[in-house]
Amino acid sequence: MITLTNLGKVFRTELIETHALREVNLQVNEGEFAALTGPSGSGKSTLLNILGTLESFDSGDYQLDGKSVKGLSDAALSKLRNEKIGFIFQSFNLIKDFSIYDNIELPLRYRGLNAAARKQRIEQALELVGLHARRDYLPGQLSGGQQQRVAIARAIAGEPRILLADEPTGNLDSLMARQVMELLEQINQQGCTILMVTHDPDQARRAGRNIQIIDGQLHDSTMYDPLAAQSA
Amino acid sequence: MEQFIYYLKVSFKGIKRAPLPYALTIFILSVGLGVFFANATFYYQLNSDPMPHKSDKLFFPMMLLAPYTCTDCKPPRVLSYSNIEKLSQSDIPSAKTAMYSAGGYMRLNASQPALPVSIRITQRDFFSMFEVPLLHGTIWPDNNARHEIILSKATAEKLFGRTDVIGEKLLLDDRHLTVTGVLDDWQMLPRLYDANNRNHLSPVEDVYLPLETGYDMNYLSNTQSQTFDQTDYRQLSTQGRTGALHQLQYWVQLDTPAQQQAYQQFMANLVQDEKAAGRHPSEANNQLIPMRNIVNYFGGDSTDIKAFALVTLLFLLVCLFNASHLSLNRYLGNQYEFSLRRALGASRAQLQLQMLADVILMAVFTITGALITAYGGIKLMNQLLPSNRLFSSWDLTLLLSLLGIAFVCSYLVTLYPSLRASFGNLNQQLKE
Ligand SMILES: Nc1ncnc2c1ncn2[C@@H]1O[C@H](COP(=O)(O)OP(=O)(O)OP(=O)(O)O)[C@@H](O)[C@H]1O
Ligand SMILES: [Mg+2]
Repeated sequence: MITLTNLGKVFRTELIETHALREVNLQVNEGEFAALTGPSGSGKSTLLNILGTLESFDSGDYQLDGKSVKGLSDAALSKLRNEKIGFIFQSFNLIKDFSIYDNIELPLRYRGLNAAARKQRIEQALELVGLHARRDYLPGQLSGGQQQRVAIARAIAGEPRILLADEPTGNLDSLMARQVMELLEQINQQGCTILMVTHDPDQARRAGRNIQIIDGQLHDSTMYDPLAAQSA
Repeated sequence: MEQFIYYLKVSFKGIKRAPLPYALTIFILSVGLGVFFANATFYYQLNSDPMPHKSDKLFFPMMLLAPYTCTDCKPPRVLSYSNIEKLSQSDIPSAKTAMYSAGGYMRLNASQPALPVSIRITQRDFFSMFEVPLLHGTIWPDNNARHEIILSKATAEKLFGRTDVIGEKLLLDDRHLTVTGVLDDWQMLPRLYDANNRNHLSPVEDVYLPLETGYDMNYLSNTQSQTFDQTDYRQLSTQGRTGALHQLQYWVQLDTPAQQQAYQQFMANLVQDEKAAGRHPSEANNQLIPMRNIVNYFGGDSTDIKAFALVTLLFLLVCLFNASHLSLNRYLGNQYEFSLRRALGASRAQLQLQMLADVILMAVFTITGALITAYGGIKLMNQLLPSNRLFSSWDLTLLLSLLGIAFVCSYLVTLYPSLRASFGNLNQQLKE
């Protein structure tokens, strides 16, 4: 479902050029749970942001469901983000003065769903993350793990096909981290493709697939070969 | 609609997050716009037409009928008594009045302290031409001298404590007069009939005296009088009527283009006759100025007022700049939220709608603040410049334009920050 071919990304500042990603080839199939690991500064977040169309790239191509995202309009990209992709961030990124319910509602608002449809999806998502009783709380009234579960509820409320998680457990203690991991696994079992950046080797091991980035280059345990893909 | 109410709610949350900078932004904008509104009101009233249905029919004739030779010179701004005698002979105008203004002191009897009054010394048609409403009594039946006076409502109240004072006697500069009329409330703004003296921003006069009586009582104009010969201005009732003492304004009402043309011909003929009689040596220079153009003609747009308008405009710009700056900071503080919304699938168009909600809210607050400030400003201006007491009303056109300006300003203040927020780098703020 995700195909990257020779993808490259360069950050240019006045002083230096950083090749954050070079010649990245990657194929991710529907239903995979892939862990993205690598040293700090190796380009993990950059890759995730490109996959989420939050960031542009300089060379190569990115095809989502067989269609290149290159040259898509802002409206098309927004729609794609809204409907196909869910984001989970290390720092949760909940809006502090919005209730849990309102936070989860955000992506649904931009999809133009009516109130009843929104409510149904939000309740479903709250049920899944086990926070139904806290729907009117503010994020600050929840623990870190609970907040991340709210963020997960927000990400999956729109029923995306891909979940992109950038160190989702990075700010959590091990118990809460395990809860979150279990939740992600549960979501994956329901058919959602997940790409997760992590520094935790245990978590990486639990994922079905391990992708390592070092200095902007991929070292995949299940390496994708563009030549083989072409002949197939 | 439901979605837009949601946007409004989000805007409110944004305000509650940082109420102080927001209040400051609104305050700065309100003050800038309020001062601008007050000045715009002043300017608008200044340039308004006090008699839109009639102003194209009233004319101010000027002629170079003075005993001096010059080429290429403008006619004097005021006419002499004998000029008026000749001009009055034409029956082409449907109404005509000669007039000037003076100052005097008025009281009921010699034992009272005297009240200073402004006097319009004029003729019968003045009241119909400028649509002056009468509360009690009558207007003089002709233009003859008579020891009769017409009072404004306020003057009657000040002097007698009531308005129904027809037949009462009083002293004007210690000469006995009888009250024959009391005017109803009346203001003409701007008072275009006095524009040749650049005096059109003052309130209308307190009392009205027949022209002939004014001359008999030796009242000299307090705005403009010029002598072009040996006439002794102290002998107004005698020499003033025959000599070249110029102090009179003259207004005629010419209802149709045909009348206007005929009147111009009449003026040309009059000059011709004067020359034939060897009286007025200068080249002819006749002017017939429509009331609509009179301020322009006499250059009554004062530079002070223009300078003041410029200052308020600059002040508004400075306020706008400051408000933009504040609002930019506010948005930069919120930028992480914009990026988040973008990541969750909000398009730029949707973010712009959110901005529109912000703009509408800001416009509502600013307009309220600006109107209050402007109202206060106008009141203050009227206190400081009592002669401009009149510049206090907003009609619909003016009000709508002012509201439009306030909306545009609110938009400008949020425009740049919003563009920056929605086109900024997406992923950066989400990392922290
Ligand atoms: N906006 C940017 N401008 C310039 N350079 C950037 C920018 N974002 C990332 N980089 C650089 O690109 C490289 C990859 O950054 P990235 O954030 O993808 O690393 P990472 O693997 O996520 O690291 P970490 O594990 O610390 O989060 C780094 O060298 C970083 O300095
Ligand atoms: Mg990172």
